Amino acid sequence: MLARNDATLMQAGTYAAIFAVAAIGLSLLLGNVAQISIGQAGFFGIGGYTLAYLTAVVTWPSNVPGWLPFVAGTLLGVALAAAFGLLLGLIALRFRGHYLAMATLAFGLIVVGIVRASKPLGGSVGISNVPFAHLGSLTISGGAAFWYAWAMVGLTALLTRNLLRGRTGRAFEAIRNDELAAEAAGIPTRRYKILAFAYAGALAGFAGTFFVAYLGLVEPNAVGVSLSIDLLLMVVLGGAGGISGATIGASIVGITNLYGHDLENWRPVIYGIAVIVIVVAFPRGIAGLFSAGAAPKSKPHETDGAPEIMPPVAAPPARAQWLAVEHATKRFGGLVAVDDVSFSLESGTLTSLIGPNGAGKTTLFNAITGIGRVDEGRIVVAGEDVTRRRPHRVAALGLGRTFQNARLFAEMTVLENAVAGAYLCERAGFFADLVGLPVSRSDRHAARERARRVLGRLGLEPLARRLARDLSFGERRRVELARALAANPGLLLLDEPAAGLNAAERVRLREDLRALRADGITLLLIEHDMRLVMEISDRIMVLKFGKLIADGTPARVRNDPAVISAYLGTAEVSM
Amino acid sequence: MLAQLAQLVIAGLTVGSGYALVALGIHIILRATRVVNFAQGEFVILGGLLAYGLVTTLHFGIWAALAGATVLGFAIGLLYERAVLRPAARVGELAVTIATIGTVYVLLYGHALIWGSLPEPLVFFSGGATDLSWQILGLHVAAQQVWIIALLAIALAALWFFFERTTYGKAIRAAADNPLGARLVGIDVDRARAISVAIAIALAAYGGTIVGPITLVGGAAGIAIAIKGFVGAIVGGLESPLGCALGGLLVGVVEKLLEGQFSYEIADPVVYSLLLLMLVVKPAGLFARPSAVRD
Repeated sequence: MLARNDATLMQAGTYAAIFAVAAIGLSLLLGNVAQISIGQAGFFGIGGYTLAYLTAVVTWPSNVPGWLPFVAGTLLGVALAAAFGLLLGLIALRFRGHYLAMATLAFGLIVVGIVRASKPLGGSVGISNVPFAHLGSLTISGGAAFWYAWAMVGLTALLTRNLLRGRTGRAFEAIRNDELAAEAAGIPTRRYKILAFAYAGALAGFAGTFFVAYLGLVEPNAVGVSLSIDLLLMVVLGGAGGISGATIGASIVGITNLYGHDLENWRPVIYGIAVIVIVVAFPRGIAGLFSAGAAPKSKPHETDGAPEIMPPVAAPPARAQWLAVEHATKRFGGLVAVDDVSFSLESGTLTSLIGPNGAGKTTLFNAITGIGRVDEGRIVVAGEDVTRRRPHRVAALGLGRTFQNARLFAEMTVLENAVAGAYLCERAGFFADLVGLPVSRSDRHAARERARRVLGRLGLEPLARRLARDLSFGERRRVELARALAANPGLLLLDEPAAGLNAAERVRLREDLRALRADGITLLLIEHDMRLVMEISDRIMVLKFGKLIADGTPARVRNDPAVISAYLGTAEVSM
Repeated sequence: MLAQLAQLVIAGLTVGSGYALVALGIHIILRATRVVNFAQGEFVILGGLLAYGLVTTLHFGIWAALAGATVLGFAIGLLYERAVLRPAARVGELAVTIATIGTVYVLLYGHALIWGSLPEPLVFFSGGATDLSWQILGLHVAAQQVWIIALLAIALAALWFFFERTTYGKAIRAAADNPLGARLVGIDVDRARAISVAIAIALAAYGGTIVGPITLVGGAAGIAIAIKGFVGAIVGGLESPLGCALGGLLVGVVEKLLEGQFSYEIADPVVYSLLLLMLVVKPAGLFARPSAVRD
């Protein structure tokens, strides 16, 4: 069965490389950003048809060098595929899960349908007589094609690795783990998702260009749904995420294709069964089997003996006024969760927001941080009206927050969580990461350094290498605080920071909060632990049924009759 | 002109009935398990082939083959739920979606291994190898077209009766709408899900058998039927059973009108664009209440 000649082997290897390029793009989308696409063949087709059109249909002037049509077709094919990727990404923002799968499937079908209906693109016959690619005197066919295709894989792998190691990769990872928390950490999640679609599209287009140049023709069936499914199967088979799984998957499919004639219809049936088995039993694919030992292990760190409270990592930004809420009202159906609330915070103070469960405290936090919008009124953060802004843009003004149920990036280590928190202090953009500009690397080091120092400051360094999902509830809360601090915020909103903490952790939290206030950070807390609230607050605001019923120093609020009745006098004694 | 349009509408309702049954199956599985079964169309093809096998190999009459294929579909559905959907659901939503796509390959190429890759004709429900037909008001109406629409209506009525009027059907709906609550009142939620999937696959097999004489059975038609069934479900509203049925019929009519009035090539891209357009503009579907969308 192995008695195949070299040319056949070479050919199978070439196809494997071509598909690996497209599969790496999908692997990034599926594994690193958790977005599914069953429409990748559409991009493959856009790239392929662009090249075929420019090399086989367009008549070039005779004085044009021989390599130009191929190079122009490749570049334009990649660019068009990327542009359509942006478009699909934009549409994809509206969907998740199976709806996203269907929308991408529709995209792929539309591309095939359009090329099949289009006369200039050859209708159902497609475009044949695509000439071999020439680079100078070299004709890219046979062995040269094999090496060209694997050079494409090399280039793709390099760019993808750069991207994943950079700020972009950290943003992807955060989005995959918890989109909302990523957004609150200042990561523009929509932009990154769109970029991921564009990048995956560009790679599929890149693969498509050379596929057509190598095969010498393109027809609608070659870029149909089954190619999209094939690519998905390759990625799942090899293991989604990063480069190696996709390459392994594409190679396996390429090699089995070599014996395709012996296997006939058994081949896709076996793929189908393999994918079901892998998805159920080995969700990390074949690559996951090899790298199982390299998975981040949860183990305690050895160093200890850090000073109790270290100096701040960097001075927080200064503002005359960090937060003003003006007549904020938020309704859920008939329920008024926040009812005409107005207040502003004095810089460098610690204010606690208390009130019975259901009083609207978290709703107010969400409105301030851009996660839920107010129906009426205005929110001003750092002097800017943020009433209708998305969370990441509010965060970029210097606002950090934690969540009531501690939304850490569960599959990342404590250190990685803190590094992701430093996103706003980094500068590298998508293209800087892609080509590996120095800023990409310096960012990586700076973010790590910054994260280490924040962990050190909060005494969390011993946990640095633990996975977030393995932490106790109290530890999670403190790591979440560290993640918020890593962005160097001027205003910090903490939602029940003391809930779930043991006595020692509680004391530590109190001292940390005092230290943060001393640094000049403006703090707003939701907290039910009255002792802590009374001990550390400069000011206490009380919310009941969405209305502010008291506002003043701890001593004043403690003796306010309205507060006493809110907590003790009515049916809702929930504390 | 008008007669020609009416003729196209009849043809559209006929193929649309197949799409409607796919859409309904997708709806039933989605409702019970929160999974979109991308392989639903393949089960339609499988159903047609099972009926074909019963007729040609075991010499069943076509009505016995319809009953046989439906029962076999039910059994295959139970197996599918147990072997594929349930284990994948433990891993996550993305995993189930991918597993149903893997199933597409197993079925699409699997039945070619058994029955060959060329489509086969199924006998007509009245008349055997050739169909009866009539001229009514200048329209050509084939008996199979009448059977298809009537059998779709019967299936819809049976489903409605089961899910709305029987205790068992109501228990299944309760399990789908509120699994925890259903468990608390003693409903076996896993079993309810399995039964739902089995009903959906039985419906697919039933659909494959009734449209089989017109569309032929087998071959690579499954993907197209599956996708147009999806389009129907999305157009009508994934969360609404009646919406799914109407959406499927509508897609069939639109497809035939486009094919008849413009060209065969233009129909597919337009129908698929309809899918994307509906997803973007009105994901709840034309016939669903807005509150019915959960994702």
